[in-house]
Amino acid sequence: MDRFDAIVVGAGPAGCASALVMAKAGLKVLVFERGKYVGAKNMWGGAFFGPQINYLFPNFWEEAPVERLVTRHVISFLTGKGSVSVDFKSTDFGIPPYNGFILLRAKFDLWMAKQVEKAGAILATGLKVDDLLVEGEKVKGVKIGKEEFHSDVVILAEGANSLLTQKAGLRKEFSSEDIKQGVKEVIQLSRKTIEERFNLKGNEGVAMEFVGLCTRGLPGGGFLYTNKESLSLGVVAQLSDLIKNRVKTLDLLEEFKTHPEIGKLIEGGQTVEYSAHLIPVAGLGMIPRLYRDGLLVTGDAGALLLGTGLILEGANFAIASGMAAAETVKMAKEREDFSQRTLSHYQQILKESFVLQDLETFKKAPKFLKNARIYHLYPELIVEMAEKIFRNNGEPRKGTFRMVREVLKGRISIWQLFSDVMKARKAI
Amino acid sequence: MEIIVCIKQILDPDLPPAKFMVDKERNKVIPPEGIPFVINPYDALAVEAALKIKDEKGGKITVITIGDKSTEDIVRKALAMGADEGLIISDTIFEESDSFAVGYILAQGIKKIGRYDLILCGRQAADWDNGVVGSVVAEYLGIPIVTRAKDVKVVNGRVNVERVTTDGFETFELELPALITVSSELGQARLPSGWGIIKAASKEIPIWSGKEIETDISKVGKKASRNQLMRLIIPSYERRCEFITGEDLHEISAKLTSKLMERRIHE
Repeated sequence: MDRFDAIVVGAGPAGCASALVMAKAGLKVLVFERGKYVGAKNMWGGAFFGPQINYLFPNFWEEAPVERLVTRHVISFLTGKGSVSVDFKSTDFGIPPYNGFILLRAKFDLWMAKQVEKAGAILATGLKVDDLLVEGEKVKGVKIGKEEFHSDVVILAEGANSLLTQKAGLRKEFSSEDIKQGVKEVIQLSRKTIEERFNLKGNEGVAMEFVGLCTRGLPGGGFLYTNKESLSLGVVAQLSDLIKNRVKTLDLLEEFKTHPEIGKLIEGGQTVEYSAHLIPVAGLGMIPRLYRDGLLVTGDAGALLLGTGLILEGANFAIASGMAAAETVKMAKEREDFSQRTLSHYQQILKESFVLQDLETFKKAPKFLKNARIYHLYPELIVEMAEKIFRNNGEPRKGTFRMVREVLKGRISIWQLFSDVMKARKAI
Repeated sequence: MEIIVCIKQILDPDLPPAKFMVDKERNKVIPPEGIPFVINPYDALAVEAALKIKDEKGGKITVITIGDKSTEDIVRKALAMGADEGLIISDTIFEESDSFAVGYILAQGIKKIGRYDLILCGRQAADWDNGVVGSVVAEYLGIPIVTRAKDVKVVNGRVNVERVTTDGFETFELELPALITVSSELGQARLPSGWGIIKAASKEIPIWSGKEIETDISKVGKKASRNQLMRLIIPSYERRCEFITGEDLHEISAKLTSKLMERRIHE
């Protein structure tokens, strides 16, 4: 065995998905993973949405380490004075094939990698690919130190910090405007406590998102997911705004933990994990060229993820793109042609699937989400309105619309508000 | 040169303490999910010592471990580093064996392998830190042993060993075959190369049962255990901080002195 059909760089959802599909088709596949073991360096907020994992591993929830199902979504506007939440509970989401899964990546990715190995791919962990082997225009393999590994095609699934994609000349330097930074703690609590505090039963779970104070009004938000016996709690914020305002995400997370709303939920818990991650959030505009001769780019490395404020998804895009890359390689193998002409088929599959279509539908979201009012002014206005509506101070009441006008007065013009609503309509 | 290296699978010693859990009723460590076991770091150094000898003199390295099929991962790790053959000895009758029994099982396995010039072990396993197995293996095989080696060299069919002591080292010269246990002072174990991992991935790793190594059942398992674990706990540390206030230094120091007197730690 001195050469491979395909070399995959990175054993996250994108890399594992592509390796699995190719190995199952009988291709000789080699996967390199930088972490000491698969899952060691892999990080996300906490939940997976959609049927993509099920396409890879039918009925995976019967066997894979799933923490909980997402049966409840909460979106909260948070200020120092209170919060207003939308709390959606679904009975349908608790029925197979389920809509959302809360997973801990260290456990889940390790399981996924085992399936990839079983399918016949070789997994090499603890090795960081330094460079691509390029002959003329063609990518011919990868280089690690002095070692060379040859293959017909290389699939980059290296994650957000996509240095090889950059070296391959497929993307330009990132700007801090294009990136969000997330930090997360896993806080251990007993199963019973979690189920009582979040009103959950059995394998039910909740995905919570917070807007407002948790980022000190900077673009971004907070999140909380219930695992089986722990909570994933984190904050995501726009990197450029963090730099501009000299704020550290870990300080934001500490503050978030002491907010009365959150403090109650995590009380008595012990932090057992701490991690951080970069998220390429500029949408369609920052997607690199996804292929060249002998090379395909998948997952976060290709900036293939969706953030609309309401929807935050990446791993399903990663898996779908990994599978699309694998299908493309299978076709290229049949034709024995790994030139960009054949590999462009990858782009075609993505265009026909939700991956690029969703990114197209929500292409205005990244710009819209930079509007500071969403994170600062609107949460305050919403909480204040709720306060005014529910407050009984013994005085004669005013009509609801008049109260709304009073809250808005002097802080935002009707036209500004209208314009934001219209933008939101187009963006999300 | 035929070298055998005994290796053990343990919980990752780099594991953060918060991930460490104990089943108090059964006196057992609960392995955390999602964190794979690793090769005992001292054993990895024993593999390194073997590889250094092989680099210089050539030869064949066989790694051997006891455990279920999951130990395959650490055997492959040793193979990826450069060992030639791997072997797992596995049987339910070995469960809850103590260090003496483990030494016996390894010795039986090594007898079945038959040919060996040098046996290398880690000085101890980083989980229980008993440091007994190497000596027991040597005893069963009736071969000389030097423990805590920081350097192992084969010269003219003999082995020269530098043994770590509290204030330096001793030098030994032994006839082969011999058993050496390796200490952390040897240096650092090499990382597997990419091609090493690829070659190791497809290697057959035989699994021998208790019967195949002609185990005397009375010498293994819980019944044969010479020691019994009474209690397994995670130590807890209590920290307390108290601010002593007062008008002036005299008052503060007086208060401090009386506090210390109370706690009787000034003596």
